[in-house]
Amino acid sequence: MKFLAMCSTGLGSSFMVRMNIETIVGELGLSDVTVEHSDISSAGPGSADVFFVAKDLEDAAQGLGEVVVLNSIIDMDELREAVKSAAVRHGLL
Amino acid sequence: MLSDLLTEKKIRFSPDKLSWREAVTQVARPLLDAGDITPGYVQAMLESIAAGGTYIDLGHGIALAHARPEKGAVRTAVSMLRLAQPAPLLDQPEHAVDLYFCFAAVDAEAHMSAMASLARILSDARTRQALRDASSAPDVIKLITQFEESE
Repeated sequence: MKFLAMCSTGLGSSFMVRMNIETIVGELGLSDVTVEHSDISSAGPGSADVFFVAKDLEDAAQGLGEVVVLNSIIDMDELREAVKSAAVRHGLL
Repeated sequence: MLSDLLTEKKIRFSPDKLSWREAVTQVARPLLDAGDITPGYVQAMLESIAAGGTYIDLGHGIALAHARPEKGAVRTAVSMLRLAQPAPLLDQPEHAVDLYFCFAAVDAEAHMSAMASLARILSDARTRQALRDASSAPDVIKLITQFEESE
């Protein structure tokens, strides 16, 4: 299972989201989940199972597959719920 | 560590009503004055935001202005500007920001390390609120130091 955090440059917010997802994956005790980050232009539908983006990339991320849109990239409560839901959808929880 | 970078001289407060361009220019000012960035770096940030860069909006009224290292980052540095009134990015009310950070890193490794430090602090709900409530540079420094010591 691969989660991919994306932003426009692959340098800033995607890295923050990746760190926060890794923290939550640890908290939830999920195994077999890898978390990476990248810029959106180098991601394709096969790049991950679940894609995480901030609102500004909502439109650009359509077509990649399972896309989770975050209102805030520093809101751990929102992100925790999003990661939990994704884990449930994929039978990890 | 963030506390090594975000020193008293790099933390400012403004009671003025600013545009987002003024806010980005002002938050970058201490870095420019210290020679941490070149004027080109400020220009690059303004241009990338103007080109649709609301991606610097982290949520909770906080934005992290930055450009790529090669745009004129001389030293890895961070500054902060707290506004009494929001300066919405691209004048869009849904991107109302009243706490601006400016960030410069000289290479990818320094970039990641300073970014990680900021991410941990801003993602901690209690510290984030305390940062928003802080009314002086020494208060901000104290908060950051306390957070780092608790990690």
